[in-house]
Amino acid sequence: MELRRYIFRRIIQIIIIFFVILTVLFLLFRLAPGDPVSRMIDPDMTPEDAELLISQLGLDQPLWTQYVYYVKNFFTGNFGNSFHYGQPVVRIIGDRLPNTILLFTSSIILSALVGIFLGKIASWHKGKKTDTWMTIGALVTHTVFLPWLALIMIWVFAYKLDWFPITGMISEEVWLDPDVGLLAKFLDVLHHMVLPLGTLFLIHFGSYLLIMRSSMLETLKEDYIITARAKGLEEKVIRDHHAAPNAALPVVTSVGLSLAFSINGGALTETVFTWPGIGRELVFSVSHNDYPLAQASFLLIAFVVLVSNLVVDVLYAYLDPRIRY
Amino acid sequence: MVHAVKTDKNISKRFRWIDPFQEGWSIFKESILGKIGLTLLIIFALMALFSFIPPQIDPMYHPMTGVDPEISHSTGPSARHWLGTDFMGRDLFSQLLAGARVAFMVGVSAAFMSIFLGTAIGMIAGYSGKGIDTLLMRLADMIMVMPTLLVILILSSLFGQLNIWTIVLIIALFRWPGVSRVIRAQTLSLKQRPFIEAARVAGASHLRIIFRHIMPNVLPLSFLYMTFRVTSAIIIEAALAFLGFGDPGTVSWGMMLQWVWKTGHMFNAPYWLLPPGICISLITLSFYMLGRAMDEVLDPRLRKEEGAG
Amino acid sequence: MALLEVENLSIGYRTRKGYLQAVEGVSFCLEEGKSLGFVGESGCGKTTIGMALMGLLPPNGQVTKGRILFEDKDLLQLSDSNMRSIRWQKIAMIFQAAMNALNPVHRVDDQVAEAIQAHNPDLGKTNAMKQVEGLFQLVGIPEDRMRDYPHQYSGGMKQRAIIAMALACRPKLIIADEPTTALDVIVQDQILKETRNLQREFNLSMIFISHDISIVADVCHDIGIMYAGQLVEYGSREEVFRSPCHPYTRALISSYPTLTGKKSQLTPIPGETPNLINPPAGCRFCDRCPGARTSCKTEPPAWEEVGPCHSALCHERKL
Repeated sequence: MELRRYIFRRIIQIIIIFFVILTVLFLLFRLAPGDPVSRMIDPDMTPEDAELLISQLGLDQPLWTQYVYYVKNFFTGNFGNSFHYGQPVVRIIGDRLPNTILLFTSSIILSALVGIFLGKIASWHKGKKTDTWMTIGALVTHTVFLPWLALIMIWVFAYKLDWFPITGMISEEVWLDPDVGLLAKFLDVLHHMVLPLGTLFLIHFGSYLLIMRSSMLETLKEDYIITARAKGLEEKVIRDHHAAPNAALPVVTSVGLSLAFSINGGALTETVFTWPGIGRELVFSVSHNDYPLAQASFLLIAFVVLVSNLVVDVLYAYLDPRIRY
Repeated sequence: MVHAVKTDKNISKRFRWIDPFQEGWSIFKESILGKIGLTLLIIFALMALFSFIPPQIDPMYHPMTGVDPEISHSTGPSARHWLGTDFMGRDLFSQLLAGARVAFMVGVSAAFMSIFLGTAIGMIAGYSGKGIDTLLMRLADMIMVMPTLLVILILSSLFGQLNIWTIVLIIALFRWPGVSRVIRAQTLSLKQRPFIEAARVAGASHLRIIFRHIMPNVLPLSFLYMTFRVTSAIIIEAALAFLGFGDPGTVSWGMMLQWVWKTGHMFNAPYWLLPPGICISLITLSFYMLGRAMDEVLDPRLRKEEGAG
Repeated sequence: MALLEVENLSIGYRTRKGYLQAVEGVSFCLEEGKSLGFVGESGCGKTTIGMALMGLLPPNGQVTKGRILFEDKDLLQLSDSNMRSIRWQKIAMIFQAAMNALNPVHRVDDQVAEAIQAHNPDLGKTNAMKQVEGLFQLVGIPEDRMRDYPHQYSGGMKQRAIIAMALACRPKLIIADEPTTALDVIVQDQILKETRNLQREFNLSMIFISHDISIVADVCHDIGIMYAGQLVEYGSREEVFRSPCHPYTRALISSYPTLTGKKSQLTPIPGETPNLINPPAGCRFCDRCPGARTSCKTEPPAWEEVGPCHSALCHERKL
């Protein structure tokens, strides 16, 4: 019961935050220097089409009415047309969204799980060589400059060693071949995904490792660990069953807090690897002054971050009975 | 009599400010991470300082406008150009030195501003409580979930190329919430302490309580967060420059990487690809290590004796 | 034959500031079915003794001298795995409820069942749970609260759960470390009564550790007064209360109010406990002792029999 109320409260908060972002973005796009109409209307459009779109978006109306139109359009998925692709924006970002979610979620889950696991081991060997090397490794990978790491990954593993494709998400010859089955397509995507996923994983797991390690060391000083020892439990049981579940909680919190940071990294990774996701689309649209696409991509990314925040919160509540009950 | 009271006050003030720093330094010196970080930072600081020298030697060593008249494409390291040249014959070594200057400038100024904002907002929220607290913290929540890099991208699409100080300012505006939450929590616990109560009873104004009694106690924590903010500011600026949205008038490490990437030299010019990336990574690493060492200094739990009694 | 015999036990901690002698030359013995109480200020080493008996000293702590004979076996010589099987099965511990002694992410009954299963691996979950049910009935926790998490319990209930957990393997000896601190007086009284009943029912030996001499007086047959790492007075409850010998004991007794006793002047003990990193050469209490003489400062006192089953560590008796 408590859990349901907690989630409900979080959803309300998220809706409010999203509305604020929506509104701020609206104001920025209308009030920034320059002509707001030219930002939403493709310069290559015929005057009739432009006229139609202007009335659709309410660009000829006063600001307040425009805002109403804007919110209505947002919920009906009408973001206008992309200048560059000449297609409805909603179709483009709808195409890209699954790709981003695939890369984003798998990188976060992988790095959190590995970080928790290795952090646990490091803390258990505190002060020994294993711990020292793991800590150093985590510090270094965590602070490496992401786009540069991505370039190095491409250079070494795709260019020099030729193990993985340099860019993209799929190979056309595989996907256009009618005889190729679903498994082969899946493996093809996986093959393309290794490098971007590996890059994101390397950047992220270190901080989770470090947090888990210090959180484990704190937890091992707790009284319930002494209880567990006094009960005559095996050290392995104490570590895995009593310390780790408690120590992992701060890691979950930090996953939530670093989501915004992760999506920055996701956009950079997508751009370098030309992974067809929203992040790359945002970078691309901004550098090509494709305002409708930029605006929609940004909103969608903000939405993804907020929803993943909610997911992390729910997960936390699930892991910590003190919130659940 | 008045005089005596004054000196007395001065002494007590000096004790409060310097003593913790000296004690902290002695703990800091024990930390290997701290020592490595500090050494690296000194090297980077020297690089930033020396960045003024090459253009003095010959205008062709100017990181932005200097072009070697005999070279019109990227060349490898030589006696004339220690790290080689970029695609139009500019010296990579002097670009690298200039990059150190930009990194420090961006990192320290953005961090300083965001820490200032965060500390002020945190103290106000924690001290005033109720409505103002809720409002400020909700605002902090909201800003915290915003991906700063992408926000700056959107802004630069609207406002055109941003210059380096605008970028610094925006980074600062988006990086205060983390600090302010910590400072707020600290302020809340300080507010419960007897000496604040005593000051209030003695008739001290709110401003005086905040500045005289709360600020000295939260500042060490702010400084700790400053080192972490420096890293994030440097990374954001570098990433922005890498994507092509940096200040076109400055040569930063991110800019160098953008050039090597966009001009298609990443596979055949390791002398160009490696140094800026290593520099960005190392400077973030060293600030990060410094932060962790300071964390140890400031963490009272680590100083507590274990299990006596 | 005594169940537990501790001879000349010394324990030290390595700390950042130097070597800390937390316990020095402590000897006592405990018979089956009897209870012994240790009283002293915080930091006097009483908890350290409890932890040493369980073999649970923190990594920087170490037994430097002495023997702990439990059922004629020296616990200090046992291997880790042998010691582990003695823990809880033979010697269990009741922790302070105010401490985080229960793991917040596991259900209370699971934590009790875990102790049973750890020592009876063949028992099976359902049988273990049946035993847990019985234990909870014994300590008076309603059945519908068994599956709760620790944070849903009140302080008193947590303490009951911890007692149930201590009884889980039917141990011979239970060490209770400040079992009622941080509970309100009424709950404190209930818990103490229950503990006494359980002790009688199961013929348990108990070691009570507390800073509150009135609690120890309530439940223990023998009392040991500790000061600055040393046992300073040791004897049967009646003897110690009737004729307290060490000035510290006298001070302790007069610094606690009693609900039932006659009204007497409460006197705080002036001064501070000595630093155990460089303990003073002579009597450790002499700085706070009203009857200290110059010789007290330099000469360490020796154990003196002051009556049947009653001895003290003080110079005063020599004269």
